[in-house]
Amino acid sequence: MIKMKDNGFRPQQMSVTLEPTLQEDATDLTLFVRTSDEEIKKWDRNKITEALLRETDISEDAARIIAREVEKLIFSLNIENVTAPLIRELTNAKLIEYGLEHIRRQHTRLGVPLYDAREIIINHNKENANVPHGPEATNLTLAERIKKEFALIEVFSQDVADAHMRGDIHLHDLGMIDRPYCSGQNIEYVKKFGLNLPNAISIARPAKHPEVLIEQIIKFSAALQGTFAGAIGWDAFNIFIAPYLIGVDDTRMKQLAQILIYEFAQQAVARGGQSIFSDINLYWECPKHFEDVPAIGPGGKPTGNTYSDYMEEAQRFLKALFEVYYDGDALGRPFFFPKPNVHITEKFFTTEGHDNFLYLISKVASEKGNTYYVFDRGDTAKISECCRLAFQLRESDLEDAKQPWKMRYSAMQNVTVNLPRIAYEAKGDDTKLFEILRERVELVAKAHLQKKAFISKLLNLGKNGPLALLAMELDGEPYYRMQRATFLLGMLGLNEMVQAHTGQELHESNDAFFFGLKVISTMKKLADEMEEKYGIHMPLEQTPAESTAYRLAMLDMKHYPLQASAVVKGDKSRGEIYYTNSTYMNISVPISSIERVKKDGKIHPLIEAGALTHVWLGEHKPAPESIANFVEKTFKNTQNAQIAFSPEFTSCLDCGRVVRGLNEKCVYCGSDNIEGITRVTGFFSKINSWNKGKLGELRDRYRDKAI
Amino acid sequence: MFNIKGFIKTSLVDWDGKITSVIFLPHCNFRCPFCHNKDLVLNPNEFENISIEGIDSFLLENRDFIDGVVITGGEPTLHENLPDLCRHFKKLGLLVKLDTNGSNPEMLRYLIKQKLVDYVAMDIKAPVSDAKKYHISAGLDNLDIEKIKKSIDILKNTNIESEFRTTVVPGLHTVEDVIEISKSIGKESRFILQNFSPKNTLDDKFTGIKPYQREELEKMAMAAKKYVDNVKVRG
Repeated sequence: MIKMKDNGFRPQQMSVTLEPTLQEDATDLTLFVRTSDEEIKKWDRNKITEALLRETDISEDAARIIAREVEKLIFSLNIENVTAPLIRELTNAKLIEYGLEHIRRQHTRLGVPLYDAREIIINHNKENANVPHGPEATNLTLAERIKKEFALIEVFSQDVADAHMRGDIHLHDLGMIDRPYCSGQNIEYVKKFGLNLPNAISIARPAKHPEVLIEQIIKFSAALQGTFAGAIGWDAFNIFIAPYLIGVDDTRMKQLAQILIYEFAQQAVARGGQSIFSDINLYWECPKHFEDVPAIGPGGKPTGNTYSDYMEEAQRFLKALFEVYYDGDALGRPFFFPKPNVHITEKFFTTEGHDNFLYLISKVASEKGNTYYVFDRGDTAKISECCRLAFQLRESDLEDAKQPWKMRYSAMQNVTVNLPRIAYEAKGDDTKLFEILRERVELVAKAHLQKKAFISKLLNLGKNGPLALLAMELDGEPYYRMQRATFLLGMLGLNEMVQAHTGQELHESNDAFFFGLKVISTMKKLADEMEEKYGIHMPLEQTPAESTAYRLAMLDMKHYPLQASAVVKGDKSRGEIYYTNSTYMNISVPISSIERVKKDGKIHPLIEAGALTHVWLGEHKPAPESIANFVEKTFKNTQNAQIAFSPEFTSCLDCGRVVRGLNEKCVYCGSDNIEGITRVTGFFSKINSWNKGKLGELRDRYRDKAI
Repeated sequence: MFNIKGFIKTSLVDWDGKITSVIFLPHCNFRCPFCHNKDLVLNPNEFENISIEGIDSFLLENRDFIDGVVITGGEPTLHENLPDLCRHFKKLGLLVKLDTNGSNPEMLRYLIKQKLVDYVAMDIKAPVSDAKKYHISAGLDNLDIEKIKKSIDILKNTNIESEFRTTVVPGLHTVEDVIEISKSIGKESRFILQNFSPKNTLDDKFTGIKPYQREELEKMAMAAKKYVDNVKVRG
């Protein structure tokens, strides 16, 4: 067989001299093709040639030859039902035969087999605990399949794609390759500009009343959620809504809080019918950098005062929010979203009323678990978006604080390194381990640059492109500020890496723990190097790893069966295996919560993009004073960045009662029509939607009697 | 030296407002059918002794978090060297809370006088005015109820911080019982109504009992408020 050399030259003109179609047994044979656009067309060999020339770099001659060969093949096979996909596959086979692999790559078809489509449309996909089952959700799953393939072929280079498929690294949210990861912004933007979205049928002026402002913020969040893969975060929410709350009485205040929370909790729109992954960042005391900022009030107009003048309203709204969280929903269950991040600085402990407020939010933490305590020590300001993502405000950002609508941040992509595998490959050799770690981080940087290039291409299409919302320039600058985009470096299974390399888990000895610390600080150094080299800011992040912990564990069991089975966690017989998330210590071991917050606190300062320690409450309900005591000591005596107390609930769908603890039957009516609710990674969800790895982890979770 | 059979490093639920470690001592002179710690009560020797050195090392390392130690069981006042154990922790600079069924008023008086305890939580199993009920709730045939009454007096009349708690079990306790109990403990006392948890109980018939719903306990607490200022529901 002659191997055709294709020089990839594509003629400038697209028009092709049509050749007459082969006519074998012309009288009897009239072939029809079922095309992808739901038509039945008469066979025409030129269609193959045209497609090849349009889609690939193939030369005209080669295209014709291939087309002729495929035609011969199809006629000789006597196929009754010829479809466009079939022709394409046969063409691809011919291309391979002729040694034109890279043309085939360009000509390949993306999609799912009929079998998979059936499974997806009918059965529940459990990769993400937020996604309910339904037509929007299955649309999402099917579309993501194609976008994932697209990403791996077209956006990322072969070495990056292969590393992902092997499991050396994990590229998060591949199915959302055409979106940035998550965002943080300020409601000042909505206050000032009203609701003016591209492709919207109607425009709203800046709101005069808080009810309307809240509605606009919700709609804007929903629109943003259609353009971001992850969390939509709002900074200093209660501070910035305060000027709209003058003269609002307690009843109305509570109603406003209810509107805000219920809207966020129940809006199930974008990303396949999921709730908006929403974060609201809250402050009891006025953050220093907003104290003297001129306040914008009703109608989007300056009020003549600064934000520190509205602290009374800000605090009243904050209390109202927590009263709603305390009540829970109609059945008394905790609200999954929005996640309330309470920022605590040194100033908190000297601000009047802080002890009552701390009691209130700790009451909520104990009863429902919603409160996230974010520790902003030493005058560092942070905006917490996703479950644990934070952006340290730099000097330039503090300048922006004077025009808060400009404070828009984003993490564009998250790539996680499979740490245990590095230990398997290093085979006990320290030098080798750190060499491989360096290679991985370089690869991560490369992946980020490739994603950045792709998103930039889409953004540059401006208001006619797919990211029109992010390109809109209401304040003289695109909504998406590329210069403030970060690129996350995540890690998975530090505990298992240390275990495989040193023989001990992080909690088992000081040496093991220090080795773990060394790995993370090396990662930070490498990330700083990448920033020097490539100009992208790559902070470390504690990857939530909902499905990644399971996927990488499975891949390692396949490719490194001996080493992986020695350290992987969970129940192998049930297939509920996982690697311990990010930098956490083994979650099934009876390490007291004090030790966890202290030890995690040693690693947190290295994880610039935010970290979180879970305190699993199980069925226990500590007195609020006890929780407040623990929170204050954690702030003052450790470097821990953030904690959340996570209770467990059993909700009976028959009698409607909700009890603490995870039970198999309702303790009141005996029904087994129950739902278990607790935190999966950083957010609450129903256990029946968790994937196998997370179920394994749930079984293992050690719950102190106390905590 | 000390027979410590259980140690929980950190608890936020054993002393409201405080972060504590919890020490479990073996044996009990009661046999409450709803008890959760039945193994500590019935088969304590199956548990290994826990070394005090290990406990001390944790406490000292985490002095910045731990406020005190809760001594529970079983029934701690059965142990003659309980004062020594309390003294041991006081010397480390920690607060000490004692859980007791109140059957040893002399030991209680001694501990309070010697300032070896900072807080006492005493269980009241049933109204003290109804000896028969008390016997049933405590799972005993013969019980000196005067001792219980004496312990209540001691706690009412000394300065020590304390609480009285009753685990409210359907079938054993009604709202009238709760009211009776609240009449006997003094207006200024702290009274806690604990919900019953039907898991792993001493008498396994009790695992089938449906606990009172939270609202019912709240109603009982409201009724008790007539006689005691400070009433709370736990669990």
